[in-house]
Amino acid sequence: MSSKVKLSKEADQKATAIIAFHGYSSLEELVEDLIGKEYEKIKSGDDKEELANKLSGLGYIS
Amino acid sequence: MKRRDFIKSGGAIAAAAPFMNFGAGKPLGKKLLVVGCDGMDPGIVNRLMAAGELPNLKRLGDRGIFTMMRSSIPPQSPVAWGSFISGADPGKFGIFDFLHRDPETYIPMFSQSDTLPSRWLVKLGDYRIPLKPGKVVLKREGPAFWDFLEERGIPATIFKVPTNYPPSPSTQRTLAGMGTPDIQGTYGIYTLFTSDEHESQRDLAAANVYYAYIDENQVMEGQLEGPKNDLLRESEPIVVPFKAYVDNRHKTVRIDIQGREILLAEKEYSDWVELTFPLISGLASISGMVRFYLLEMGERFRLYISPIHISPRHPAVPISTPPGYSAELADRVGLFHTIGLPADTKALSNGTFSMENFITQSLSVFGESCRLFAYELERFDRQPEGLLFFYFSSLDQGQHMFWALNDKEHPYYHPEEGRRFGYITDELYRKFDRVLGRALKSIDPAIPVLVMSDHGFAPFRREVNINNWLLREGYLKLSTRDISEETSILDTADWPASRAYALGLNGFYLNQKGREKEGVVTTGERRRLLEEIKAKLEALVDPANGQKVVSCAYISEDNFSKDFIERAPDIILGFHRGYRISDNSALGTLDRDIIIDNLGWWSGDHCVDPKRVPASFVSSFKINARVPDMRDVAPTILKYFGVPAGAGMTGKALI
Repeated sequence: MSSKVKLSKEADQKATAIIAFHGYSSLEELVEDLIGKEYEKIKSGDDKEELANKLSGLGYIS
Repeated sequence: MKRRDFIKSGGAIAAAAPFMNFGAGKPLGKKLLVVGCDGMDPGIVNRLMAAGELPNLKRLGDRGIFTMMRSSIPPQSPVAWGSFISGADPGKFGIFDFLHRDPETYIPMFSQSDTLPSRWLVKLGDYRIPLKPGKVVLKREGPAFWDFLEERGIPATIFKVPTNYPPSPSTQRTLAGMGTPDIQGTYGIYTLFTSDEHESQRDLAAANVYYAYIDENQVMEGQLEGPKNDLLRESEPIVVPFKAYVDNRHKTVRIDIQGREILLAEKEYSDWVELTFPLISGLASISGMVRFYLLEMGERFRLYISPIHISPRHPAVPISTPPGYSAELADRVGLFHTIGLPADTKALSNGTFSMENFITQSLSVFGESCRLFAYELERFDRQPEGLLFFYFSSLDQGQHMFWALNDKEHPYYHPEEGRRFGYITDELYRKFDRVLGRALKSIDPAIPVLVMSDHGFAPFRREVNINNWLLREGYLKLSTRDISEETSILDTADWPASRAYALGLNGFYLNQKGREKEGVVTTGERRRLLEEIKAKLEALVDPANGQKVVSCAYISEDNFSKDFIERAPDIILGFHRGYRISDNSALGTLDRDIIIDNLGWWSGDHCVDPKRVPASFVSSFKINARVPDMRDVAPTILKYFGVPAGAGMTGKALI
């Protein structure tokens, strides 16, 4: 499936900066990478669960 | 001027407080020993001293003073030791709780350190190689007291003080303590292989649990899950396989891992085993280390593997200054626990450890601390000047887990366990006293010594969910009617209709306009609302027994310096003894009721009103205050060495 997404000027500028900063080869690669990371978060629960796990190691939260 | 000369010349005042007449800039001596004993409770010390069971602490106190010391608000270790490091209240160094929250998202986050991602990634096949590595940043602000010593060329060794991970830049010898993670970036995830099918299916916090399949040749194949390989485009954990050869007849097992063979008998711990987790085969790897503990053989096979510690020989992230200090310790004393809180309390809470297993581990950790202490003392004895600060964690972690053994009012009191193991808390105090006795014998008796803790201890019998209370009182609204004890306010809060929420172990926040993303409480309403909520919290009564729950609700702006107060909760909850925030409330999840019984081995705690859990202060020298404060220790140390207190220090020198 291919989709076209129209970005605002501000979002486009930010995306360009992120591409340069992280060395992505294209906007498509950036978007795919970000979607992958977000999807990973959904799959593995969320930040809160990770935090709970971390705090569990300290012992304060069971 | 030497201390003896000073005492001679000081007259009556000096007799009461031998160091008092020294002006700033004139050192009182060249060497000072400070021993930090996390959680050492002055009430218990007093009882055991009176019974003649802590002769060395008693002698020390008789020379100088044994008294209570005011802890920080709240009396959590990262905050209290932060006050020790900074000589200031948390408003100056910016850490108010184990957890802070991001007002943009309301999501809780760790207060002590942050991990910044790597930058400038280059693609290489399946890998993404960072040209600039990621880094971990200490969020404690401002200078540490040893920075001022460094400026004057006075050497200091700061061993495992909490709230110093990653260690702040210094030429002093510092080793990170509480807050130091394992190599997976958590505070300790252990691994269990069990042939008990039921146990292997349990979803345990902070644990990787696997079914131990032992084949007809009595071999179990397993793997240890390491950190995620973020260099891969598809990040996945790095695993290290191993084989365990089971000999039920002799109740032993041989573990083959990365070319090494480890032989273990039942109930035996292995030494540290260093492991390599490859990132790119042959080019890059991360070092870690574990200990194996063969819990059971026979009917059930149960093998515990400790969290994967950062190796002090090849630390994957900085854990000491100078960087070679941790390797020096490992070379001279042997490998040692590097995770901030080394005893695996979670393994006991989860039921993986029996109480006996946990005590075995606790004593092993304590023994290791003693060996490291002996090494540092020997070194300290040889050097002509300087400070040695050495930290012990065992009393704190032990009391968290052992409290219910002796507390008949605790809902988790087990008479049989109490009868078998009730001795252990007092025994840990006695062991510490014996270690102190050996230390005092090994150094020049003229060297002043201070033994201190960061807080005392209290029972944790009842858990309080402040978010449930806020919901009942109408300060917090949810966008759902489908409320259960698993409901998270982070997912369901109707923020535009909510005025307050609670996160962290003592934290209470207003949903403030202009600060929180969907804040509604205006600056004009703020003070009145804070006082209204403070009064209601302090009137809260436990329906089960009629006892007050909150001893004092501290309004932050009335108690802290303003430098980093924007990170602070608006109210710090000071619970009465017996009460603590519930596990769920700390992370923004609801419970079935506002107050419920605490049914777990984590049965003692100190996240209460600091007035209810004062710290201990035992020194060989007299001081000029009746009740010292945690903040006073740093200016005292500096004054001893003739160094003026830092401009940001809010504590006062005690000598």
